[in-house]
Amino acid sequence: MREPIRMSDPTHRREPPAGQLSGWRTGVREALPLLGGYIPVAISFGLVSLQAGFDTLETLAISTLIYAGASQFLFVGMAASGAPLWLAVAMTLLINLRHVVYAPNLAPWLPRSRWWPWLMHGLTDQIFALAHVRLPQLPERQRVGWFFGAALLAWLAWIGGTLLGAVAGERMTAAWPLLGEIMPFALPALFLVLVAPRFTSRRWSLALAVAILAALVCTLSGFTNGGIPLAAALGALCFFLIRLPPRDGRQP
Amino acid sequence: MSLSLWLGLLAAALGTYLIRLLPLWWMQRRLKRRDPQSRVDAMPEWLAVLGPMMIAAVLGVSLVPKTADASGWLATLFGLVATWLVWRRTRSLGLPVAAGVAIFGVAIVMIGALFPPG
Repeated sequence: MREPIRMSDPTHRREPPAGQLSGWRTGVREALPLLGGYIPVAISFGLVSLQAGFDTLETLAISTLIYAGASQFLFVGMAASGAPLWLAVAMTLLINLRHVVYAPNLAPWLPRSRWWPWLMHGLTDQIFALAHVRLPQLPERQRVGWFFGAALLAWLAWIGGTLLGAVAGERMTAAWPLLGEIMPFALPALFLVLVAPRFTSRRWSLALAVAILAALVCTLSGFTNGGIPLAAALGALCFFLIRLPPRDGRQP
Repeated sequence: MSLSLWLGLLAAALGTYLIRLLPLWWMQRRLKRRDPQSRVDAMPEWLAVLGPMMIAAVLGVSLVPKTADASGWLATLFGLVATWLVWRRTRSLGLPVAAGVAIFGVAIVMIGALFPPG
């Protein structure tokens, strides 16, 4: 028998019932942990962009419009080094290509609304990870509001962090060197919480572990962005190819 | 910034937006052809597996500490264990993250104090 693929998970059941808060407030509240990762990276980007020769307004425009962390660093780096513009654009898009699987994964839980096309600008890695777990658990009427709140908070935090970095990045990193080192741990902690409920069987556990380790190895080898889809594909391949018997000895 | 660079920025921004938007339209058209009761089943199995794998991969990428030395890795381990334990107990989103960051921070400071660099 084929193992059912669990799309939603009730393991966050001890969160306050969604009905107690409006959708967008719940989204804002649940996206708060993202800020620990977003703001330090955005400050770094603001700083790097100014050092690459862009002014504050241009730096803000990049963060507001492209809104995709790693590819922004690449874009300003290539532009500053005098690389052909078409190549900088192509590399930016190549890095962001991993986003193609995000919206289809969320689509079954998106109620009909004319807002979704606009909200897709906010579909980052982190918002996807959060939405993939939370949307199936929310009542349908709250989902647009939830996504709006979470995505808007993350977007504004990214823009605000960029502004901080552009205006005061050097002074801040000199004054609080540890803060920039500690706060980004919010991201792995959040991703761990989001992926933890998926460890429901030996088959899922092995596949997820393969994806995590492969991504880790890719990052340590300097292949960060390409490593994400590659590691995910390896994990999925492992899921489909390797069938482990369950611990109690029954057939999977 | 020159006009060509502005155009390049707009092209990168528009392309990134379309990468996020177009697959949604594709999936929504696919869902429309299905019975509303079986919307989840309309998703191809490979896509349903790829979603959690992408989250796992982003976790793997984010595990590398900013300072990837022994103290950074040790603090990461402490932070992950704390996050996991608090999640096991509370099954919530915010508390495990807060606990993980706190323990990671304490570990960074303590390891730095016990084994100063150089």
